[in-house]
Amino acid sequence: MPPASSRRLSTVDNPRKSTVLTAMTALFTLYCLLPLGWLVINATKSQADFVSTFGLAPGREFALWDNIAGVFTYQDGIFSRWLLNTVLYVVVGATVSTFLAALGGYALAKHDFTGKRVFLLVVLGSISVPGIALAIPQFLLFAQLGLTNTPWAILIPSFVNPFGLYLMWVFAAEAVPTGLLEAARIDGAGEFRTFLQIALPLLAPAGVTVLLFSFVSIWNNYFLPLIMLKDPAWYPLTVGIQQWNKLGSTAGNGALIQNLVITSALLTIVPLIIAFLGLQRYWQSGLSLGAVKG
Amino acid sequence: MDQQRARRRSRIGLAFIAPFGVLFTLTLIVPILYAAYLSLFQERLVGGNVFVGLANYGKLFQDPQFWDGVWRVVRFTLVQGPIMLVLAMALALALDSRRLHGARFLRASIFLPYAVPAIVSTLMWGFLLGVKYGLFGSLNEAAGTDLDPFTPGTTLISIGVMVTWAFTGFNMLIFYSALKAVPRELYEAAAIDGAGEFQVVRAIKLPALRGSLVVTVIFSIIGTFQMFNEPQILPSMVANSGVTTFYTPNLYAYHLAFTGSQQGYAAALALVMAALTIAVAYAVQVRGLRNASSQ
Amino acid sequence: MRLSRKVRLLSAALAAMLALTACSGGGTAGDGQVKITVWSWDGTVERAVPGFEAANPDIKVEVVNAGSSQDEYQALDNAIQAGSGVPDLVMFEYFAVPYFAIPGKLADLGEFGVDRLKPGFVPAAWSDVTVNGKVYALPSDYGPSAMFYNAATLKKAGVEEPPATWDEYYEAAKKVRALGDDYYIAQDTGDLFFLLSLIWQAGGRPFKVDGNKVHIDFTDAGTTKAVAFWQKMLDEGLINTKITGWSDDWNRALNDGTLATQTMGGWLTSTLPERAPDASGDFRVALMPQWQEGEKTGAANGGSAFGIPAAAEHKEAAFAFLEYFTHGDGLPTRVDAGAFVPSTSVLENEEYLSKENPYFGDQQVGTVLAEASEIVGSGWQFPPFFEWARSIYGDIASPYYTSGQGSLAEILEQWRQRCIQYGNEQGFQVD
Repeated sequence: MPPASSRRLSTVDNPRKSTVLTAMTALFTLYCLLPLGWLVINATKSQADFVSTFGLAPGREFALWDNIAGVFTYQDGIFSRWLLNTVLYVVVGATVSTFLAALGGYALAKHDFTGKRVFLLVVLGSISVPGIALAIPQFLLFAQLGLTNTPWAILIPSFVNPFGLYLMWVFAAEAVPTGLLEAARIDGAGEFRTFLQIALPLLAPAGVTVLLFSFVSIWNNYFLPLIMLKDPAWYPLTVGIQQWNKLGSTAGNGALIQNLVITSALLTIVPLIIAFLGLQRYWQSGLSLGAVKG
Repeated sequence: MDQQRARRRSRIGLAFIAPFGVLFTLTLIVPILYAAYLSLFQERLVGGNVFVGLANYGKLFQDPQFWDGVWRVVRFTLVQGPIMLVLAMALALALDSRRLHGARFLRASIFLPYAVPAIVSTLMWGFLLGVKYGLFGSLNEAAGTDLDPFTPGTTLISIGVMVTWAFTGFNMLIFYSALKAVPRELYEAAAIDGAGEFQVVRAIKLPALRGSLVVTVIFSIIGTFQMFNEPQILPSMVANSGVTTFYTPNLYAYHLAFTGSQQGYAAALALVMAALTIAVAYAVQVRGLRNASSQ
Repeated sequence: MRLSRKVRLLSAALAAMLALTACSGGGTAGDGQVKITVWSWDGTVERAVPGFEAANPDIKVEVVNAGSSQDEYQALDNAIQAGSGVPDLVMFEYFAVPYFAIPGKLADLGEFGVDRLKPGFVPAAWSDVTVNGKVYALPSDYGPSAMFYNAATLKKAGVEEPPATWDEYYEAAKKVRALGDDYYIAQDTGDLFFLLSLIWQAGGRPFKVDGNKVHIDFTDAGTTKAVAFWQKMLDEGLINTKITGWSDDWNRALNDGTLATQTMGGWLTSTLPERAPDASGDFRVALMPQWQEGEKTGAANGGSAFGIPAAAEHKEAAFAFLEYFTHGDGLPTRVDAGAFVPSTSVLENEEYLSKENPYFGDQQVGTVLAEASEIVGSGWQFPPFFEWARSIYGDIASPYYTSGQGSLAEILEQWRQRCIQYGNEQGFQVD
């Protein structure tokens, strides 16, 4: 190849860094990080300091370790239970829902069956119904099945991820060459085996995106657990923390534990950060998303 | 033989989609049908459940509070949606250009707000935008201004700031993934043709984003039409911000069902809202596809 | 993919664990033992459990926070509708009792001979739990209105003695306002309970409930007097209309002394120290300012009671515990934990009355609050749909507080119209 084009190629692959662009992006990043900075600073304050000092200034004493200890011991250490619950809901829920989304998306992309368009319309349509209004019917249905106040009331709805299904459909259409599947079939491989050994690895990077979104949405799920659970032993972190928050902001003599609420909020974000950083490398290896064809 | 295989393939396809389909029916379809059934009744504290047919729907169409909420979320979507998506696209392009220092840190930081639960973020923003003891108050003092982000006229803007903060990263990631999928050959060909940076963006990257733009627009509409968390949490933090119990349709449904015990009416509201949302989302989808195919 | 298989195995294991542990808590634990579930967001009730279980070894008590106020009421309604998960004992704010009692969702405590307990409670609290002549709950804490004032701030403003009448309060408000831009004697952003307590004290009785008939009238003499007074306070800019009670801003304003008084329920004594730690030693408690010199009437602002759902499984055991912590030996532990109880035995107890509270400058707050409980005006009633009514009050009141257009009287009339419409829709006869 002539030397001229290879020089240009190296520019495309490794362009000069731009400070202006970095500065502008950094400005937006500041907007993103500022509220979190507030969170970190205030997690170091005791309740008394929290009320008495300016939000972005440090407290009179450094109470982060006390706060963390407080969070884990308040109400007989129910926070640990909430943490375990959330981990359970997320690990099981995200894995199963991503797998089901992959299965379904693959089928929608690569198999012909009647009613595909209708199915998609129904799926999208159902997401459009405000969840609040479905909460009570869902509760009554699950009560009939005897599942309310059990972890199943949280898990089963979390297995259904319509957005994930839609994304996987689109990824599968782009990333899985039909030719490869045909070859496997000619070789006599069963459909499910074909899916597991050929399609799934190709869908992996996209699957990771769906997994991450699913992880976040189940981790932050608030309203449905609120309706379905009345036993604090099964609460996820969101419901538990909001309960602590409501104690201090409802008229009456509920405890004011804003320092614990803020510290626990900080603690809940940490696993999400870790998950995101851990999954980041999948985007380095290149995602096969392609244009959405609907 | 082909017909048999095709039929078998179709059955396999159904089998693959069945697990999702069954759970989906259980957790969404059945409750929706039940909600539709409920919407035909009126619950009374005295007298129990009374069948009223379509009266709830009639009442809904004449309910000024409902339409006030609808108009509000429409206005919000029309303004906040484009701003957020343009920002997300710009950021995705910037990250993809590989011309940033510390790109990985920036990318992770921009996504982070999405991971923060609504309760926590409203707490944080309540402080930041607080005029008496909050950051905004200090800014006012420093600049000598007297702006209040939580008056009836400005609250929606403040909520816009909070929502943009929370979701730009999410949308950016979708765009970024789409850009990452552009085949290298296109860039190489463009380099050979001597294309400059801006031409590459215009001719290669933007078209590559078209499809994901349709997806993000649709989901952004569905999301903002269902706005609930911010208007629900704000009143207990800030006084007289103009947030009423019918500020958004979803919030109105919540109050109807949960404090007013009017589940039937709330169900009717939800279904009408869903119909409106689907109509708008479908229109966008059709338009988006038309644009894409005319390419 | 090897990774996803590992993960699937893991989730299968977790699911198996789930199946084993996901049996719902039963009502019976062990032979002959009864387990009751109590829903309460009041933390002091739990303190009474060990003592009760020791005295009643065949009853196990589990106290659960199923949400505060409205969240809990919804949960109870859900549970009753679903026919499962109904607790044995539930906490209610006083105004919520009729809401559950009238449709028969609460058990009539007369079955358990509750009338013999009447002398043990403050009369006003007893009438709060009586609906149509039957008792549906027992009072567990109480909020007699009292004035909490920051003596240091008042002194700085030149007010030596706490205002004893509302006229004096008005004068004091002007002096406090003169201290600076941030200083106010109190805040109000549409505080319904405060306004109602003012009306209550003035003798107004806007709600008259008789069976399914509800009569609402905000134009009687007492109501008009109270409303006119507060209107004057608002018109003259003496009240802070930007800080809402129970918010973070409110905590801070109490803490730095810029809000000079709070007229609200006596239960504030236990939570004020947490909210305003820097103001320790500055606050004192006094009776509500009076309308006439030398008068002694008061009102109540909040407080809670516990009732037994009609669908509960273990009513006898529930009643035993109920009696224990609202009337019997469970009281002292709760009082020590900061509860303010409308129990005559406690309120007349020497030790309680003479206890000095260091946060309040060693004042014997018990004495003041006990007196405040005794003078609560009688005959007050809440409409059965008050939970809904109070949720929409803000919608109606807010525009006035932000724009200054309109008046309290107009707000109340609009609210009345909405209540009439809603109440009639719900099957009551409201006018």
